Amino acid sequence: MPAWLDTHLVSLLNGLAIGSLLYILAVGLSLVFGMMDVLNLAHGVLFLAGAELAWAVAGESPSWPGFLAALALAAVIGGAAGLGLSLGTERLARRSHLDQALFTLGVALVIADGLSAAFGDDVHAVNPPPGLAGSLLVLGKAYPTYRLVLIAVGLVLAVVTSRVMERTSVGALIRATVADREMVAAAGVDERKVKLIVFAVGSALATVAGVLGAPIYGARPGLDNTVLILSLVVVVIGGLGSVRGAFFGALVIGQIESLGRALLSDLASFLLFGALALVLIVRPRGMRS
Amino acid sequence: MISNRFTRRRLLGALGAAGALAVLPRCKSQTGGSAGGGGRVKIGLVVPQAGVYAPLGTDMKRAWDLWLELHGGKLGKLDVTTVVADEGESPQSGVPAVQKLLQNDQVDVLVGLVNSAVALGAKDMVKEAKKLLIVTNAGAGAITGAARNPYIWRTSFTNAQISSVMGTHMAKLGSASPAYILAPDYAAGSEVLAGFKKTFVDGGGQIAGEVKTPFGKTQDYQPFIAGIKSSGAKAAFCFFSGAEAVAFVKQYAQFGLAAEIPLYASGFLTEGSVLTAQADAALGIQTTLHYSTELDNPANKSFIEAYRGKYSATPTVFSVQTWDAASVLHRALATATALDGDSLSKALEGVGTIDDSPRGPWSFDGQSPKQRIYLRKVEKHGTDYVNTVVTDLGVFAQVS
Repeated sequence: MPAWLDTHLVSLLNGLAIGSLLYILAVGLSLVFGMMDVLNLAHGVLFLAGAELAWAVAGESPSWPGFLAALALAAVIGGAAGLGLSLGTERLARRSHLDQALFTLGVALVIADGLSAAFGDDVHAVNPPPGLAGSLLVLGKAYPTYRLVLIAVGLVLAVVTSRVMERTSVGALIRATVADREMVAAAGVDERKVKLIVFAVGSALATVAGVLGAPIYGARPGLDNTVLILSLVVVVIGGLGSVRGAFFGALVIGQIESLGRALLSDLASFLLFGALALVLIVRPRGMRS
Repeated sequence: MISNRFTRRRLLGALGAAGALAVLPRCKSQTGGSAGGGGRVKIGLVVPQAGVYAPLGTDMKRAWDLWLELHGGKLGKLDVTTVVADEGESPQSGVPAVQKLLQNDQVDVLVGLVNSAVALGAKDMVKEAKKLLIVTNAGAGAITGAARNPYIWRTSFTNAQISSVMGTHMAKLGSASPAYILAPDYAAGSEVLAGFKKTFVDGGGQIAGEVKTPFGKTQDYQPFIAGIKSSGAKAAFCFFSGAEAVAFVKQYAQFGLAAEIPLYASGFLTEGSVLTAQADAALGIQTTLHYSTELDNPANKSFIEAYRGKYSATPTVFSVQTWDAASVLHRALATATALDGDSLSKALEGVGTIDDSPRGPWSFDGQSPKQRIYLRKVEKHGTDYVNTVVTDLGVFAQVS
């Protein structure tokens, strides 16, 4: 076992780092879909917008003020985009998911082409902020400092979101809306406001994830589709509308994408969707629900 | 209230819809070029204008426009009209673009194609139409060589041509064996690795391990980099391009391997705009390719000067390949009796050595270049990252 751990420690750590990033990305998608029953296919393009923003605002070798400014700006822009999407899907709320999917897909295509026009089609790499660019030794293994910090950020956010969801009245309201939207409305709460807030926060998190992910994934056309599919898989595996489910799903996918690929590199292409298929067969409602 | 189960099914449907994003064709075309009296030739330039290969398309179109500008808008003695079509990033968009140029625009000659799958998809179409196609990038072996038809010529390279030369070189080094080899899991990646393995193993090199990474679905190379590290390899050889090249090179450095296991590659790993994005992470990487901006010959110097003057950008191997397509067409059209594929193909057979190319002299062999392959190393000159030429490894024809 120690020998095995010695070989795969870096892959395990990396699974945590990717899982953290996926959690920040996917939690918003899970809540919006779970509670509001709105399928937001523009979620991935928000991530790409964040990544391009990091490159445009902070540059290839960002300073701390630049990186933090990019994060703040991403939160504001993401939040505003979330509000816009929420209002846009409002009128489609009583129609089928296909209509919502078409609307958000259209929005995603327009924004993606806009990003491509604004920032070009080149691949943009962003370095971590100063002090985080190097590597640290973890049990004798070199591991990039930035990814370690990302693990910490993801864990903190996971704790914060689960506290908010489980210990505050806002969280109770959100959970109640996930469980039974009509009943919440009947109790005199304007559930559309809850939807607006959750949509805005979820989208802001996706855009922030783009900035945080930029030093790892970079920014390039097509990244939006890739991360959209990853986050949809996270949501399916974790179960809908649950913060804990999203966290669990993100960690599982993080390990599959990292440790799984290291152990079974010949099957790397099939692992992600193989795992998805397995979960759908064994636990069709998600592993946590 | 809609049940959870029901919404999950819808979500899966949406997953499928999201997957379809990748194949939505994006078609746009435009007409440009000159008009005038006398003899005319209509060229269809098919290059990517959107999607992941768009930067290559830009390099190619710039070189094409520059060549025409410097030669009075004429190929041979004919006035040129250029019709540009968007190849996109897959055969779903590229093949219809070729078809449109042939049928709607009635072009005489096709030039371009980044993607091998598009070139292979267009193969029968140009054969039926009996029109000449000059491929300016796509590197699949089967486009020319033994499987060729007379209408498709290539001014670029073949995947295995580039990597087999590196295989021989690394085997000779001795210090680069055993080597770990990796490439994306698609046709070009397989051809590169097969070409490398053959000459490397024949030369006495040993393979420490081999992996093919999921193409277009890998953002994080750590699991594969871990595999290189634990294999005990003394060197690594790889082939990636575009976004994958940036991600791989940066992560190879981040996980500390750049200092431990020297990285060798097919030249596309560090070619063009990706090198700017890789920056310091790419320093020291050695690659083989048929061109470098650092080549010391008069044709290259004046080419780079003209290119920089017009576009304030540095040309790439993709620019040179398209520049040379114009150059060979110019020669062929000067002697061709007609504009159909058979006459032009016959004229191309007689062009002999292209002695004014920025890449150095080369000639056609099996309708694909027989050319010098250079060993290059990434260095920093001032604020720019360049592929300096370490040595000239010799002249090589297409490997089939």
